[in-house]
Amino acid sequence: MTNECKKGRNLKNSKSDMVNLTKNVDQKDDLKYNRRSFLKTAAGASIALGLSTVPFSVRAMMGMAEEENERLEIGRLDQLGEGESMTFNYPTDNDPAILVHTVNGDLVAYNSACTHLMCPVFYKKEEDILLCPCHKGYFDVNNGQPVEGPPQRELPLIEIEVENGIVYATGRKYRHG
Amino acid sequence: MDKKMCWILIFVTIAVNVVMVQWTVESYLGREFNQVVIYSGISVVSAFIAFFVFLNWRKLEYAEENQQ
Repeated sequence: MTNECKKGRNLKNSKSDMVNLTKNVDQKDDLKYNRRSFLKTAAGASIALGLSTVPFSVRAMMGMAEEENERLEIGRLDQLGEGESMTFNYPTDNDPAILVHTVNGDLVAYNSACTHLMCPVFYKKEEDILLCPCHKGYFDVNNGQPVEGPPQRELPLIEIEVENGIVYATGRKYRHG
Repeated sequence: MDKKMCWILIFVTIAVNVVMVQWTVESYLGREFNQVVIYSGISVVSAFIAFFVFLNWRKLEYAEENQQ
């Protein structure tokens, strides 16, 4: 094998013996799919995968600087009977949420965008469960965890406080339970 | 480090990076930003390891060709 034309060894016009083999019907494929190319692709894939996480960490660092523990009044507790629910937005107007007074008398609140495809979830009083009607996703009303259907992640939990009969949202937890 | 070890290391970095991408996205969606930075850091280090191992493999591979 010659050492000439090292840079262009995988090109058709190379002077490399391997490239200029006669009677090589699969010459094009031999040049394209070989051991060296395979490892180069593998290394490239590894590097690409590694660097693909960088935008997430940049966004995460930007997110860490943001505070979202604003205290917001949701409504009066006496206007929300057991087995009823009401909607509100927290922490921004683009984050729909649901406050549920369960049949057991507990007060729970979650962001109401389904973790599958963002459809709004509703409280189904008869079964004491949160339902996403788009693809029949069900969430446990007591902890927001998915119990049936396509959703895989829990609903973000909104921390609430009751003070003088008024319900306040005080924070949000994405991973809980 | 011989060529075989280079192959092994590159494939180990692929495995590590696939797992780290998955964990990074999961943590990002869960707003666990501290973990996002950790997993992303591991992933970037792994990518650099893959790159330098690849350079080493290339040196060995084509040095061998020159000797022939």
